[in-house]
Amino acid sequence: MTLRRLILRRSLEILVIFFLILSGLFFLFHLAPGDPVSRMVDPSMSPEDAELLVSQLGLDQPLWLRYLYYLKNFCTGDFGISFHYGRPVVEVIGERLPNTILLFTTSIILSALAGISWGKLVAWYKGKRVDTVVTITSLVCHTLFLPWIALLFIWVFAYKIGGFPLNGMISPELWSDPASGWFVKALDILHHMLLPLLTLSIIHVGEYLLIMRSSMLETLSEDYILTARAKGLSEKRIRNRHAGPNASLPVVTNVGLSLAFSINGGALTETVFTWPGIGRELIFAVSNNDYPLALASFLFISIVVLVANLVVDVLYAYLDPRIRY
Amino acid sequence: MLKALARKSHTLERFLEGWSLFYENTVGRIGLFLLLFFALMAVCSYIPPLIDPMYHPMTGVDPEVFRSTPPSPTHWLGTDNIGRDLLSQLLTGARIAFLVGITAAFMSIVFGTLIGMIAGYAGKVLDSLLMRFADMIMVMPSLLVVLLLSSLFGQLNIWIIVLLISLFRWPGIARVIRAQTLSLKQRPFIDMARVAGASHLRIVFRHILPNVLPMALLYMTFRVTSAIIVEAALAFLGFGDPNTVSWGMMLQWVWKTGHMFQAPYWLLPPGICISLITLSFYMMGRAMEEVLDPRLRKEEQRI
Amino acid sequence: MNQPARLVQGFVFFVLLLPLFLSTGWAKENETTLKIGISEEPRTLNIWLASDANSRKALSLIYQPLYTRNPDTMRITPWLAESMPVYDPREISYTVRLRPAKWADGSEVTADDVVFTVNLIQEFEVPRYYSKWDFVRKVEAVDKRTVKFYLKEPKAIFTTRTLVNYIVSRKEWEPLAEKAKTKEKPLTALVNTKVESPLGCGPFALEDWKEGTSLHFTRNEHFFGQNQTLAQRKLGPHVDKILFKIYGTADVAILALKKGNIDFLWWGIQPGYIPDLKKDEDVRVFLSEKSALYFMGYNVRKKPFSDRYLRQATAIVTDKDFFVKRVLQGYASRMDSIVPAENTFWHADDLPHYGQGLSRDERIKKATALLAENGYSWKTPPVDEDGNVGSPSDIILPSGQPMQKFVILTPPADYDPNRATCGLMIQEWLNDLGIPAIARPMSFGALLQKVKGEHDFDAFILGYGRLSLDPDYLRSFFHSRNDKSRGWNMSGYHNPEFDRLATKSVSAMDPDKRQELIHRMQEIVMRDLPYIPLYKPQEIEAANMKFSGWEQMVGGIGNLWSICQVKPNE
Repeated sequence: MTLRRLILRRSLEILVIFFLILSGLFFLFHLAPGDPVSRMVDPSMSPEDAELLVSQLGLDQPLWLRYLYYLKNFCTGDFGISFHYGRPVVEVIGERLPNTILLFTTSIILSALAGISWGKLVAWYKGKRVDTVVTITSLVCHTLFLPWIALLFIWVFAYKIGGFPLNGMISPELWSDPASGWFVKALDILHHMLLPLLTLSIIHVGEYLLIMRSSMLETLSEDYILTARAKGLSEKRIRNRHAGPNASLPVVTNVGLSLAFSINGGALTETVFTWPGIGRELIFAVSNNDYPLALASFLFISIVVLVANLVVDVLYAYLDPRIRY
Repeated sequence: MLKALARKSHTLERFLEGWSLFYENTVGRIGLFLLLFFALMAVCSYIPPLIDPMYHPMTGVDPEVFRSTPPSPTHWLGTDNIGRDLLSQLLTGARIAFLVGITAAFMSIVFGTLIGMIAGYAGKVLDSLLMRFADMIMVMPSLLVVLLLSSLFGQLNIWIIVLLISLFRWPGIARVIRAQTLSLKQRPFIDMARVAGASHLRIVFRHILPNVLPMALLYMTFRVTSAIIVEAALAFLGFGDPNTVSWGMMLQWVWKTGHMFQAPYWLLPPGICISLITLSFYMMGRAMEEVLDPRLRKEEQRI
Repeated sequence: MNQPARLVQGFVFFVLLLPLFLSTGWAKENETTLKIGISEEPRTLNIWLASDANSRKALSLIYQPLYTRNPDTMRITPWLAESMPVYDPREISYTVRLRPAKWADGSEVTADDVVFTVNLIQEFEVPRYYSKWDFVRKVEAVDKRTVKFYLKEPKAIFTTRTLVNYIVSRKEWEPLAEKAKTKEKPLTALVNTKVESPLGCGPFALEDWKEGTSLHFTRNEHFFGQNQTLAQRKLGPHVDKILFKIYGTADVAILALKKGNIDFLWWGIQPGYIPDLKKDEDVRVFLSEKSALYFMGYNVRKKPFSDRYLRQATAIVTDKDFFVKRVLQGYASRMDSIVPAENTFWHADDLPHYGQGLSRDERIKKATALLAENGYSWKTPPVDEDGNVGSPSDIILPSGQPMQKFVILTPPADYDPNRATCGLMIQEWLNDLGIPAIARPMSFGALLQKVKGEHDFDAFILGYGRLSLDPDYLRSFFHSRNDKSRGWNMSGYHNPEFDRLATKSVSAMDPDKRQELIHRMQEIVMRDLPYIPLYKPQEIEAANMKFSGWEQMVGGIGNLWSICQVKPNE
């Protein structure tokens, strides 16, 4: 099967899964105890407006028709009006989503790269003291309680030591200054991103490092490494050219498998650092009973996870020519 | 009789062998000691309220104390803002963590093992249906789903939270168990059982289950970790069970009452405990994995 | 070393250098900026939609009313108007003379704008505003700066509640209103109009809104109050710019305040932060009185809490001083009436102080005795024959039925940790009596829906942060006429005697006579206890020492008077 057919097939599967999530959420929202109308219509709206919205969303129709309305509204990108912002939900999400993707993907890619390169080195020193220390450190990093460590980081790095912004994504003073060019602005975002990135990555690096280490050990015992050794290649060359690439495949798989778990951490990080992302928006919406926003945020987070999964799968197939579904 | 004894001793031997392997493993040993420490904490949590009602973690207040105080002889870890003892809260937190972690993990391996065995054994349509379903659950961020549900159903109590966590944590196990079941299915003894007229139910529970159980137990330790983390995160965000004194709850109190950056004696212990208890289960899991792994690999090679 | 490793290490290096590079002052200090921290993004800058606290804060710098509250007396004082309104009882009209003022774009504020504002509200029946203007029959512009309001009937609230509303510019809103009128749903269209830069006549004008981060305001050169003396105060503003920075969480905002990243936190602070803030030399903490009421309400429509004695017993075991001293760390005062004690003229003094000064055991004994007297029983009573307090079995009602579990709804901990804690404590105290109470935090909207909308609840804890000084709310809360869906009488309290007194109090124009009626009403309410008043918190705010001139009034320093007077210290 070619790569293109693989992508096609996985996309189809993802579409099916997404459709299931979409439907599942609909039934949850409409069958949960309480009134679905009051859930989707801003309580502060005037009765006439509420009525209009009810008919727009088809909430006065029987369940199956409501479901069709819901699907139709979804396809046309109409998620209703956020109670809190009083604006279309899509607009709010459109502003937040890029920020999440920026933070999340940067963190995943960086921690995967770091995990792979460090895990490779550690495997080389198996049994030595370095190995034990690094293994235990990685375990500790991986199991740190994320929101807590995030708060500690704010306290230590942003407050006690200084030099890092406390929260947010940009410094308003800088951005309102017409003298600052795009480069300065980009640096400013990066500056704000450092602490959230560090928090999110520290959790992941440990995990990836451990996986890389064990997979590297396994690879090193394979025949072709022996062959390479017999050929008299340097250790460094064997490690980086022969064993490394193959051993990193399980890390890629794991990135895909743990994506859903990672996004939990992403939402917590965003909340503690007030990073204006979609995970924070979801938690905020849930606290405020802003159901339309909560529903749509969740759907978009699912989309992010699913697409990231697809990317990981494709990457995997690309890296490992033996694997073709 | 003798035969039974022999079999028993064989099991014992295997267990002892595994144990010594486990114990030699530094990671496993640290994990075990940490775990014992937390178990001790959980057991000790019953003691403070007996000494004085003011040590009750939720309702007891020191009549002398009106604000958060640092550690002192009467309150070894200090008090929170309304004068409750932090040590007794921390001890109770250990109990809740075990409760949440182990129940949720147990429930999720029950779901996971059952579904995995059924999917693997039945194969065909049922298999692919169940696995698609598992795929779907797998991509759902559990914390966010539980959050969403709590907004729909109002405040959730601790058992519902545990159930929800376990409902979102089975697919990983199910996949592994399914793979194992698939390989077991090819083995002669299953065929023999079938020829002997054993029902499907009997085959699944008498012949397959005992063989996949070690793997399921291994996964249980990892699930404990994630259950504790999800519960703590939920409580931290303010969606936990308000009647429970868990570590996440303690963090939420210190956060929301504004003591975050001025009461390190209140902020640090719960965070350290959550991190360490998850670490201990994780370490145990890894050590067990290393003990079980060679055997598992051999079995795979036999196919 | 391979590619990824080099990449990662290069990045780490870069990252470590970045703070050094970025923290070396970029800030340009040729103009003064007042940086204010707010909790969440304003919902909108469309004045007809804005109902959340943060939108109102932002809009209060821009749109101005004719009259406002005097910080000393809390009575109304001319603002955009030049003098107090002149009442003509013959034609039931008020005449208001405007100050010479200009909109931020330089055009003049005229009587015509006032007329336009009122007509717009009446024509569209704009929610939240219409109820304040609907008794105005006609508005006319007498000349360029004089407006005359004709009322349908005399209304005392016209000056105190109607004239303090914002005036908008005809130039800004007429095209938008015309466009809205062509739509199928004019009001919806009007309310949902996106307003990018609202045009006002206040001290500041909006320059820029960065979604999710900040709002920038620059000084309005045309502000009418500039260098004027109003209510004995010389107004500025003395800062060139105002920056609203959005902080999602209080702790980070406090850190920002301590670090000097913001100068003022326009946001009530939890008592827990005070000791730390007081230690900080750069920060000044302001404690202000609030006209507030935090209370537990019962659903008296339902058994068993329709029984007054049961409610009294629960009031006896509720330790209000515990809340004040511990939960609120002393930054509050206990309440024993619906009317705050600071409101000396209307507050009745000789009311029962249920359980005040008693220990926990004494409370339990007293409450047990009261319940036993009125037909309640236990298999194991809370107090045994030797007078020892122990753990009781569930209480049995006078009817012989065991009491069903009942739920005390509170706002969630992330909204108000104090009320959530109070609910839990009350739950425990009631359990001491064998009353099976469960405290359940619930999201605020859902709580209101259940309590106010559906009347489907047992008990709840809520608070009013801004009670008016006039005690007319007593009537609103407990008059049986208000016991309807979305009505103010959430408890469902019915008492003909109270109703009679309440109705009389509205028409009683003699203050002494009205005072007597109000006192009687408080006595009845405190005997029947549909609400158990709990405590009244103080408003806690903090500002950086870099600025001075804050105006502290009832409700705190976050107000327009402060904005117009603060100046940087040299």
